Amino acid sequence: MCKKNVWLWGALLIITFLGSCRKDPLNHLTNDESRIYVTNFDTTANFSSYSTFSVADSVAVVQDNQFAGRSLNAFDSQVILAITQQLLQRGYQQVNSKSNPDLAINISRVYTSSTVLFSYGDYWDYYDQYWDPYYWGYPGYDFYDPYAVGSYTLNSGGLEIDLLDLKNAAANGNKIKGIWTGMAQGEQVFSTTNGMNEVAALFSQSAYLKK
Amino acid sequence: MKRRIQLSFARPMIALALLLVTGTALKAQGLQFNAAYNINFPTGPSFRNLVDHAAFKGFTAGFAYPVMSRLRVGLSIGYNDYYQKYARQVYSNGPGSDISAVVSNSIQQAPLLVTVDYTFLKKGLLRPYIGAGAGINFITFDQYLGEFDNPVNSTYFAARGEAGLLLPLSKTSGTAVRIGGSFNYAPYKKYGIDDLNNWGVHAGISVPFH
Repeated sequence: MCKKNVWLWGALLIITFLGSCRKDPLNHLTNDESRIYVTNFDTTANFSSYSTFSVADSVAVVQDNQFAGRSLNAFDSQVILAITQQLLQRGYQQVNSKSNPDLAINISRVYTSSTVLFSYGDYWDYYDQYWDPYYWGYPGYDFYDPYAVGSYTLNSGGLEIDLLDLKNAAANGNKIKGIWTGMAQGEQVFSTTNGMNEVAALFSQSAYLKK
Repeated sequence: MKRRIQLSFARPMIALALLLVTGTALKAQGLQFNAAYNINFPTGPSFRNLVDHAAFKGFTAGFAYPVMSRLRVGLSIGYNDYYQKYARQVYSNGPGSDISAVVSNSIQQAPLLVTVDYTFLKKGLLRPYIGAGAGINFITFDQYLGEFDNPVNSTYFAARGEAGLLLPLSKTSGTAVRIGGSFNYAPYKKYGIDDLNNWGVHAGISVPFH
């Protein structure tokens, strides 16, 4: 190999080594950093007008827009407890689900297969299959899609917390309106080590949500 | 669940390989091959709002053909990778909607330019040169919210002006170390971004094919 070629290929090797390739952002994220927290609320809702709440006693499991059953594993219990604590701290009073709460809180674990995109809109299209209004003592009622539905596309598992307006269901034309939704997605979103923090993150960015 | 996306440097690397093959096959009289490692710095508030520090992953490579004794025209491909991660913040997503996320901006530019170089001295151990180029900029803009991204590929006009020094390996050698700086004009009109202009420094090599 002539001297010129040695220079040429040596320089090319160095330049390629130093200058090419892409810094992959995924390789520079911790599991905590990988997660996002999305909250939507009805801008017409007056959150201080509600007094009482009840949290569902189990979590709906939704797989590819199909209701897969209810669950109460350690993570689910942790999330139910965390939501209850957050709402109590914000001045709401916890009541039994049979005591006509103003607010109902449904919790869902939403999974999708790797090849199917799950849209936030689809989630609400089938909502009454996961959560029968009868559960909250409102048989025959429908659900309103919450504010800002359809803004996001999920592509993995996610925790979904829905805050429903029972107080005004009759006034809303026998429809139960979602007035706040919180969604957490990312790595280890269903880990028991993260449940409390995820709920705290969702509520911390929702300062308006108080009595 | 972390997703991988196709490495966006594949395109410029393929182009570089094509240039190499073509150039090696031609070995035209006076044809010169240039390659350099680049460090580029975003300029302007629009770009610096996305990435405010230097990009250390970059190169340029190309061929230049003499049309006059000191004037060469050629073809150049470049590549620069810009990346910056921002600590978690809550971002408004319009009325009634908020997102808390660690935002990572990942931007790749690969300008393919027709170039003109003028060397002020034909002999000597320090040979200043200036150059300019214009062409197409292949841009990938990928903003991550946490691990979720939405890469967008675009092509825009690009132009470059540069100046530097050629440092021949000997008085008789046509092979030279090439160092200098450049300003890269890179308009980009998406997502409220005005441009991805940057300036850079480079160090590399010029090798003639005699």
